[in-house]
Amino acid sequence: MGNIIQLAWLVPLFPLIGFLINGLGRRSLSKGAISFIGSGAILASFIVSIMIVLQVKSPGFTASQGVLKMFDFISVDKLIIPFAFQIDQLSSLFLLIITGVGFLIHVYSTSYMHDEESEHFGRYFAYLNLFVFSMLLLVMGGNFVIMFIGWEGVGLCSYLLIGFWFKNSDYNDAAKKAFVMNRIGDFGFLLAVFWIIAKVGSVDFSTVFAAAQSLSKTDITIITLLLFVGAAGKSAQIPLYTWLPDAMAGPTPVSALIHAATMVTAGIYMIARSNILYSLAPITQTVVAVTGLVTAVFAATIALQQNDIKKVLAYSTVSQLGYMFLGLGVGAYTGAVFHVMTHAFFKALLFLGAGSVIHAMHSEQDIRNMGGLKKQMPVTHITFLLGCLAIAGVPPFSGFFSKDEILAGAFSVNPVYYYIGVAGALMTAFYMFRLYAMTFTGTFRGTHEQEHHLHESPVAITFPLIVLAVLAAIAGFAGLPEVFVENGHALEHFLAPIFAESAKLKHANHLDHTTEITLMVSVTVLILITIIYAWIRFSRYRKTEADTKGLARVLENKWYVDEIYNAAIVRPLNAFSGLLNRVVEKVLIDGLVNGVGKSIQYGSRQLRLLQSGQVGSYILLMVLSILAFFALVFFTKK
Amino acid sequence: MNAIILSAIWGVAMMFSGIFLTKGEAIRAAAILGLVVLLGVNIAELYGYRLFNIDTRGMLSFNSFSLVFNAVLFGCTLIYFLLSSKDILKVGTNKAEYFSLIFFVLSGVSIASSFNTLLMLFLGIEIISIPLYILTGSDRKNLKSNEAALKYFLMGSFSTGIMVMGIALIYGARGSFDIAGMNTAMQQGLNPLLLSGLLLLLISMAFKVSAAPFHFWTPDVYDGAPTVFTSFMATIVKAGVFVAFLRLFDGAYGSMSDKWKLVVVIIIAATLLIGNITAVFQQSVKRMLAYSSIAQAGFMFFALFSYNDLSKEGLLLYSAAYCLATTGIFAILIKMKDYTFDGFNGMGKSNPLLAATNTIFLLSLAGIPLTAGFTAKFYMLSSAIKTGTYGWLVILAVLCAAVSVYYYFRVIQSMYFKEGDSQRIEVSSSFRLGLVVISAIIILLGIFPQILFYKLYF
Repeated sequence: MGNIIQLAWLVPLFPLIGFLINGLGRRSLSKGAISFIGSGAILASFIVSIMIVLQVKSPGFTASQGVLKMFDFISVDKLIIPFAFQIDQLSSLFLLIITGVGFLIHVYSTSYMHDEESEHFGRYFAYLNLFVFSMLLLVMGGNFVIMFIGWEGVGLCSYLLIGFWFKNSDYNDAAKKAFVMNRIGDFGFLLAVFWIIAKVGSVDFSTVFAAAQSLSKTDITIITLLLFVGAAGKSAQIPLYTWLPDAMAGPTPVSALIHAATMVTAGIYMIARSNILYSLAPITQTVVAVTGLVTAVFAATIALQQNDIKKVLAYSTVSQLGYMFLGLGVGAYTGAVFHVMTHAFFKALLFLGAGSVIHAMHSEQDIRNMGGLKKQMPVTHITFLLGCLAIAGVPPFSGFFSKDEILAGAFSVNPVYYYIGVAGALMTAFYMFRLYAMTFTGTFRGTHEQEHHLHESPVAITFPLIVLAVLAAIAGFAGLPEVFVENGHALEHFLAPIFAESAKLKHANHLDHTTEITLMVSVTVLILITIIYAWIRFSRYRKTEADTKGLARVLENKWYVDEIYNAAIVRPLNAFSGLLNRVVEKVLIDGLVNGVGKSIQYGSRQLRLLQSGQVGSYILLMVLSILAFFALVFFTKK
Repeated sequence: MNAIILSAIWGVAMMFSGIFLTKGEAIRAAAILGLVVLLGVNIAELYGYRLFNIDTRGMLSFNSFSLVFNAVLFGCTLIYFLLSSKDILKVGTNKAEYFSLIFFVLSGVSIASSFNTLLMLFLGIEIISIPLYILTGSDRKNLKSNEAALKYFLMGSFSTGIMVMGIALIYGARGSFDIAGMNTAMQQGLNPLLLSGLLLLLISMAFKVSAAPFHFWTPDVYDGAPTVFTSFMATIVKAGVFVAFLRLFDGAYGSMSDKWKLVVVIIIAATLLIGNITAVFQQSVKRMLAYSSIAQAGFMFFALFSYNDLSKEGLLLYSAAYCLATTGIFAILIKMKDYTFDGFNGMGKSNPLLAATNTIFLLSLAGIPLTAGFTAKFYMLSSAIKTGTYGWLVILAVLCAAVSVYYYFRVIQSMYFKEGDSQRIEVSSSFRLGLVVISAIIILLGIFPQILFYKLYF
């Protein structure tokens, strides 16, 4: 089928065109046309992506074929940064996830957003296409700079879409918070890129990774730590995670696409892409693993006590991202990428399911006011249940395999990681089934008005749910553990070239099969017990007016992290800037600037007097000047 | 060569055409046609097509730099004609003659850009100057115009005298008018006669480009002359004299001693300071532009200070950027009744397109990035930095450019942030198109300045 990789630039081009058409034509195009263009662009990219993956999978493919240089983007002295794409196993897999899930969410949005005015409908799809474009740029970039363009682009789109309903100032605050938090991370990323330029003199992935071995330990540790700051910002890790739950202010499909399936996994992608750097920096690896683990458990505890259906999912996303970082930190790169993939499916599914519920409940998001929805919404119910089973890690659904691989990797490095990780996994099972049970089982607790209008969502909403549910159920079979099937891990074989260098550095520390199976079975049993407990307990849930107490109250208030940040960082910063404003700005700077301005005006008024209008005085002045010049030339010593 | 002869012929033809052509439109068409032909033959010469093969015995020579420079100036004049030729017709009754004089000036510019001997330099400068005295006084019923012409003529003669004196001294010292070989003559020891001659020549040229402290004529003349001609004088003529200046340096001052450099540095510093600081207090935009032209001359003078390849490219770019932007601003100014800053109040609402293009011109003059003005300043200053001497002069220039933002932005502020009763100005659609084209060229040159240098080396 020819060399489709040469046409890889088409993949980001389609969404860009879609963005331009929908963005410019949002006032004149009909909703049908906007939906068609918006979704069609992503579908076209998806089709090209499939062909690319097939090409990459074919035996003749080598890494050098995948580098696609378009033109020189920046060329200063010795530093040449080409606008280049890099297509390989890792990026093509992400292409598939982004365009595939992206397409489904576009389709879903055509129905979900249908009540918006036509202009805003167009704006929504334009932003969404721009997001996909940026995300594709991030993933396809052949060097850190192109990646950074995409990196900033997705941050911008995230900001625009969180604040999509810009008339609500809370939503705008959430958007700003996301932007600022992301910028903190981006700053780390930028510093890392500068450091790389200073030490390596190039930002091309291939050059940098080839030079990694020769970099000093300090350099590589600093670079990887700075990159990790960037990753922590984008992928919502402690301490930069607080924006993600607030990001739920955006439309639900946005939460599904950007804040669950794709953008937030950018940090994982970046570290997986730079895996060789991390494998050479054991200190950073420990930092990554511990941060991931702490985030995973910490976010899970918060999720236990949330009552907003989207907030539960948001904290669960933070928690799952923590697992992915744990995987990266312990060198289980394939496991992390695997979990990105399965998570994309089931978390998108869960968010879209939640959207379907919210849609049916007329924007009600509090699960205390739901219950018993399974009768009215059978498709949403079944697909949501599948999603819950997948994320909880029940075999044979996808989450089980990917999470197991990460945990197994953690066990081989440090069993303590493993036990804490399992505790988090049990919490995951608990809060997910609390969510499920409170929403779909028991009796309806909402108003009569809501009950009257309850209905299953239209096909444009249920179709993506079904597709994602199927994927969430079966995607795990792409990576069967060795204990079950010899050579069953198709994904590992596919990604092997990416992680080959790191694999060489890694000490062969495989678990023996008996231990692995024992661990697997015992965890599964624990998870099943937790699920049954949560299910039984919360299907009998009754609304109470009583406030929560003790630890539950702390959890409900998210460990008061926002308040702590506010008191420890935001307020001192505001006070300090107020001080600067009053003293430095008003007195010193303004005084200086205005003083210069005034003295120039004064000088102008005086100099003007030279221009007397008298030819005689002009000529006199000129003659004097000529004499002065003569004196200068003849009577001064050299 | 093509340009010198054709522009002279066309000037004569235009003068006689006044007898046959009575309609302003016809005269205008003839002038524009002539200029297009002129531009065409000049570019043709750049590609090696010479219409005339005249042996000037080495008194004139044409290289790609002078031809490209001519092309840029003719192009600017063409744009000037397209925008303002209708206003030239309104100045007085001798319609054809104004155009005729402009063609003579262009002929002088072509000589000034290609002279090899001091005689030709003198001839070129005088051919440029004399028509300008007439154009300055062309609004005969206006006292200010008459006064300006007289002042210009008096001071111009004074500087001509200095120039002739300088040339005479140089001839006395060397026995030759050729500028080639002057370098070697200078290195052979300080002959006071030669040194005095060169200094006088430098001073008279500084007068022509209105560099301080020989700038006194500029504000009065620019202010008094009919605005259309101020536009021409401040832009194309000034750039034309600068190219002569650069060529003179090529031969005569090429190996500058430190003393020469000091003279040039003093002139640059004085020009920048006086031009920029005096412009701050002006109340009339026309007078502000006169001082701005002094200030910009200070920047162009950097080409003579640093004197390297970069500065030559810089002067070319600077001339194009400065001429285009200033021509555009003057074209708009001519259409206005009130020349004070307040006259621009509220223009952003009443004439959005004029205000927008005017903003681009002003931004370019102030040297804001993405405009040709910025790139030109960048070239000039980086060429000066390359010399590695007088770093403070570059800093002074940057600070002066910052001061210039004040008076240029005052116009923008008036247009957009002040309420005013400025009437809608009726302009033709070709005028609008012209403004848009200039803006486009300014931005294009701001991003891709190399396109101007393409023919310089190939």
